[in-house]
Amino acid sequence: MNEDQDIRTLLADSARRVFADHCSQEAVEAAKKSGWSSALWQVLERTQLTLVSIPEPLGGAGGTVADFAAVLRIAGRYSAPVPLAETGLLAGWLLAASGQAVPAGPLSAAPAQPAEALTLSRSAGAWRLAGTARRVPWARVATRLVALARYQATDWVVSVDPRRCVITPGSNLAWEPRDEVRFDAIALGDDEVVPAGAGVDLDRLYLRGALARAIAMAGALDRALELALTHAKTRVQFGRAIAKFQAVQQELARFAGEVAAAAAAALSAAGAVERGEGEFAVACAKVRAGEAASTGAAIAHQIHAAIGVTEEFALHHSTLRLQAWRAEYGSETYWGERLGEQVLAAGAERLWPRLTE
Amino acid sequence: MLFGDVDFSALILPDSAQALRAEVRAFLAGELASARIMPHLGHAQFDREFSRRIGSRGWIGMTWPKRYGGRERSYLERFVVTEEMLAVSAPCAAHWFGDRQCGPSLLRYGSEAQKARFLPAIARGESPFALGMSEPNSGSDLASVRTRADKVEGGWRVSGQKVWTSWAHVAEHFFCLCRTCADAGDRHLGLSQLIVDLRAPGVTIRPIRFMSGAHHFNEVFLDNVFVPDDMVLGEIGAGWRQVTSELALERSGPERFMTTFPLFVELVRRLGASTERRARQAIGQLSARMYALRRMSLAIAFEFSRALSDSAMRDLGTEASLVKDLGTFFERDITEAARLLVDVEPCPDAGDTFERYLAECIYTTPVGTIRGGTTQVLRTIIARKLTGAAAA
Repeated sequence: MNEDQDIRTLLADSARRVFADHCSQEAVEAAKKSGWSSALWQVLERTQLTLVSIPEPLGGAGGTVADFAAVLRIAGRYSAPVPLAETGLLAGWLLAASGQAVPAGPLSAAPAQPAEALTLSRSAGAWRLAGTARRVPWARVATRLVALARYQATDWVVSVDPRRCVITPGSNLAWEPRDEVRFDAIALGDDEVVPAGAGVDLDRLYLRGALARAIAMAGALDRALELALTHAKTRVQFGRAIAKFQAVQQELARFAGEVAAAAAAALSAAGAVERGEGEFAVACAKVRAGEAASTGAAIAHQIHAAIGVTEEFALHHSTLRLQAWRAEYGSETYWGERLGEQVLAAGAERLWPRLTE
Repeated sequence: MLFGDVDFSALILPDSAQALRAEVRAFLAGELASARIMPHLGHAQFDREFSRRIGSRGWIGMTWPKRYGGRERSYLERFVVTEEMLAVSAPCAAHWFGDRQCGPSLLRYGSEAQKARFLPAIARGESPFALGMSEPNSGSDLASVRTRADKVEGGWRVSGQKVWTSWAHVAEHFFCLCRTCADAGDRHLGLSQLIVDLRAPGVTIRPIRFMSGAHHFNEVFLDNVFVPDDMVLGEIGAGWRQVTSELALERSGPERFMTTFPLFVELVRRLGASTERRARQAIGQLSARMYALRRMSLAIAFEFSRALSDSAMRDLGTEASLVKDLGTFFERDITEAARLLVDVEPCPDAGDTFERYLAECIYTTPVGTIRGGTTQVLRTIIARKLTGAAAA
């Protein structure tokens, strides 16, 4: 055990307690209507779990991306209805990496789609932000929206009060808020606009979004497998627990392989992002976690049979998130194609060196 | 949960291992450029001269103590050498079993005389070993072996039949799992491991030709073969424990997902900078699967590497089974992707490397999910661990 692992263990223990206390079936169910759980958010802030990987001088806990990944995996496992990754890994990062302190409260980041751009302009000494960002996670509950916008061919980081935007509510498959946000030439003060820091651009924002979803999928897969195992051991048919049937065992084993592969890829990618070499690893992680989500969700439902597809049973919180998160910040198709393009462009002789760097 | 507390984000190979990688890669590039080796996919080829060259560089038995011919290097460095060899399908069969299984078993269970005799020779690449495990009626169910050894003055008399023994016709010794006690009650208790000289009187080796026509498998008949007492490995009756303790090492290595890797490389070459979406997606998907598998295999290698120093090793046997299960399907995925993306008729004697590799992979792909534990047996082991049921 070294010091880093000790910190990681403490963080994970603390996160597990908080999420277990606040993510009951009722709480997650209620969040479908209210959009989120403010009670959970208060506790997360109090226990300093929201800005784990933000430097201390800028309001965070000074940990690594891998530390935060451990917390995000647990959040994914409990279907935590809060913008945790959006606050600590996306919006918080945009601000901190551009030298800005990160405010308290739930945050979200825009754009959340690859080909979107927001425009910043300046006239008569005032900044204005224009454009539309689609499917912004939790925009309606955020206290600040942090956007990346273009001005004179460079990137700028903008912090906006969401009450000044036109927000049209939308949701993903699991009823998590994914809202459309229109910025109608919103006037901004000088303290709300800064040049993007080194290494802050749209592609890296999207990459971090993909990392966040891959890690969350690893967590949701943990949970779905746990539920499937519990069910298989307790559900009795033909006079014995269904886990005794080899056909069921084979599927459980296949499921476990997918869960492990997703976690291996996603957590490895977190380390790679921390070291500033994340592009290949994150692309691999999002593709692999997406594949695991597809296979894992299907097996989880098959093992549960009819009870698994009901609203009263918790499984769907995990499997619907898996299906939603597969598509967010780039599907397997998007990242697979992008990854394949890079591998092919680099050529045969670069494939093995790239995998072993 | 499997791999539950493994910190994948921190698995970074030390600089020493990456430096060694560069050395091995340069050496292999030279071997290929000068046509001293000619890669074939599927079954590692047997090439005594190549194994000697590898041995003289210190890349066999490299984690073993120096007094037994080892180099006392880390397990991670060994991992790097192994994966570099696999990346070009180097002909490692003449030292493979000695390096991976027999050597470590000798170190752990062997007598001082056995260690002194065999380990330095294995490390020099001059003592090819084979493994005598499977029998005609004992494939996945290894504990059912029937080859028996009867106690005689000064040793044992062994009779029976081993099958699927790779390279027995060119190896010098094999580790023979046999029954030394017919009525031990528990069938796992009556087993022992003997080191058998494959040229001893009473040993007959016959080829079992692979469906491609290649000869690497054999059946080995043992007719009253005398094995002296000093060639018993470890304890009489402890054979099952000794054999299974090495299984994790055997099941999680990169050889479980890299046998078709050179085809992947040739596929990338053949596709060039293809702009076809389907091609890009398939290559991206294979890259992602490979990345995840390698990270899982590396996690187990890190665990072995820690175990060498503090001996408090977590039991990652189930995780190793899982890597093999996923890995062998990945090998199959590469072959299938190559077929679907490049429309050629596979041809075993093609001059073109891609086409030849494709044919060789089609021949050997069914073997991956069989050797070293079939998919079905592995999944049963995994499921038992997951559901907390007792092992068979």
